[in-house]
Amino acid sequence: MATSNSLTLSSATFAKLSPHPFLLANLQPSDPSTPSSRTNGRQPRQARPYSVNNSSLSHAHGSAVVRSGDTTVICGVRGETLLTSQIPNYRAPQADNIAIGDELRDYDLLVPNVELATGCAPNFLPGVPPTTLAQTLSTRLFSLLHSSKFLTAEDLRIYHDGAGTQGEGDTEEEGFGETTREVKAYWVLYIDVLFVSFDGNPFDVAWAAIIAALRDTKLPHAYWDVDRELVLCKRPTEKEPRPLSMRGLPVACTAAVFTARERQKKGSGQYWILVDPDRLEESLCNETVTMVVDNTEGETKVLTISKSGGTVVGPALMREFANVAATRWNEFRSALQ
Amino acid sequence: MTVNSEPEALLSHLQNADGSATFSFSGYTVVGAVNGPIEVQRRDELPEEAAVDVIVRPAAGVGGTRERHLESLIQSTLRQIILVDNFPRTLIQIILQVTTTPENEYVNAKVAQATSNLPILPALLQTAVLSLLSAALPLTATLTSTSLAVVADGQSKKVVLNPSPREIETSQSFHVFSFTSHDELILAESEGSFTVKEWDEAFSVAQRQCCPPTNTDDGDTLMDDGSLPGANLKQFIRSTLEGKIASDLHWK
Repeated sequence: MATSNSLTLSSATFAKLSPHPFLLANLQPSDPSTPSSRTNGRQPRQARPYSVNNSSLSHAHGSAVVRSGDTTVICGVRGETLLTSQIPNYRAPQADNIAIGDELRDYDLLVPNVELATGCAPNFLPGVPPTTLAQTLSTRLFSLLHSSKFLTAEDLRIYHDGAGTQGEGDTEEEGFGETTREVKAYWVLYIDVLFVSFDGNPFDVAWAAIIAALRDTKLPHAYWDVDRELVLCKRPTEKEPRPLSMRGLPVACTAAVFTARERQKKGSGQYWILVDPDRLEESLCNETVTMVVDNTEGETKVLTISKSGGTVVGPALMREFANVAATRWNEFRSALQ
Repeated sequence: MTVNSEPEALLSHLQNADGSATFSFSGYTVVGAVNGPIEVQRRDELPEEAAVDVIVRPAAGVGGTRERHLESLIQSTLRQIILVDNFPRTLIQIILQVTTTPENEYVNAKVAQATSNLPILPALLQTAVLSLLSAALPLTATLTSTSLAVVADGQSKKVVLNPSPREIETSQSFHVFSFTSHDELILAESEGSFTVKEWDEAFSVAQRQCCPPTNTDDGDTLMDDGSLPGANLKQFIRSTLEGKIASDLHWK
């Protein structure tokens, strides 16, 4: 008895000692009666359900906590005003000329930041400069915020009516063509993403948290005070803060490719597509695919595809993955409501 | 502004690096240097394979988050083609210095973070591969990489190969594809707004561009390059290296 006990490993020890064979043994059980599944009990194409909690932070203009499995992200959006007189090389936006540039991008009106060093996982030490992963994540989120054109610059402009009384007609279209109305300031949105706990798939959950927080964001009514030359905000009791208008609902979906061969493979080996990988799976997979889709207009619209680290996923798998991403979109939309 | 439509490369021109290359194509010029296998820091050491370290330096300013993103993409791609198993507990370091980027004459671009990350990626990858070849590191395959934009042209849409910054800015979607010399897709980055069908079209254009039919094993038979819309990068890598080897062995 004693010998068999010392030779038998508990599954937790097996996972620690040799994680790759452990995951492989789970996906490819030697006993055919055991169903194939991942170490976390999920099917290869099964994602963890989202849960969303809005308006958790009292001092932010909008916030959300999004949890997917053991990955929990809190995102807060805070608006601050930026006077156009303080922008170097400022050019007033023209209604007819859209091609002149993107105000959101040119004046850096969206400032996302990702914080991983919160003790959310053992491999991120607190009190060190941002890791490569944190920097990569914030760049990807930044470029997705811009390339998806999720927000419009119109929402962030603070107008001043030259002739009329201040603070009127700023959500209405009227007066746009007239020359008296001018942009005096912009709202800059500071979008801070904090990982509360980290168990794989950071990009999807961080993006989901940003979307949920932006949908929750209500900016107070701001106007230009001519006498004091300041931007002032009305009290929420005086005038209801207005939400941002958003274009569609982009949702990210990530999968990792697990290959049976641990070392560099030659020829084709067996592989599994693991949707929504956890931390163990991420550490064992080289190739990842991320797709951001938007199904709001019926047809699946793709906003980002990012695939790197391997040669398994070709065009056929990519088409298949678009359907997986579409189901993930439906899951997130129902979690938001 | 003149943009050279033909790729140009210079191999092994840095004396102190194990391998080096300068590559310029469609307005980008990148200098690459490779050192390896060299000693690795203890905390980065991998017991069974070589650590690959990629450093990207921008043309102006110091590297920021955007360079970290490019580095992580290039690192995960190159790790697949370098035979890292051959050099356990060592480091292969690849340094890519951008020297020229095409200017967008329509906007006064800021230095930091103003534009998309992706347009420079093909030039960086191509330089890295040429530097690795110059360093004579064993590879499983080489890479060819291309970028393209889907531009609205009236009602229809057309695919523009190697677009200029202005074309990228006005495009509906922008794609970067990399293929190994075994014609497998190794990297795909796309942004903008597109359908899966459009991505498929872009993919097949890129595949035609990067993986031309290979009947070129016997050197100089493929002379009818006129059918290809852009430069044949696979052929370019081959002929550049052939030229380099011929000049190196000239003394014999």
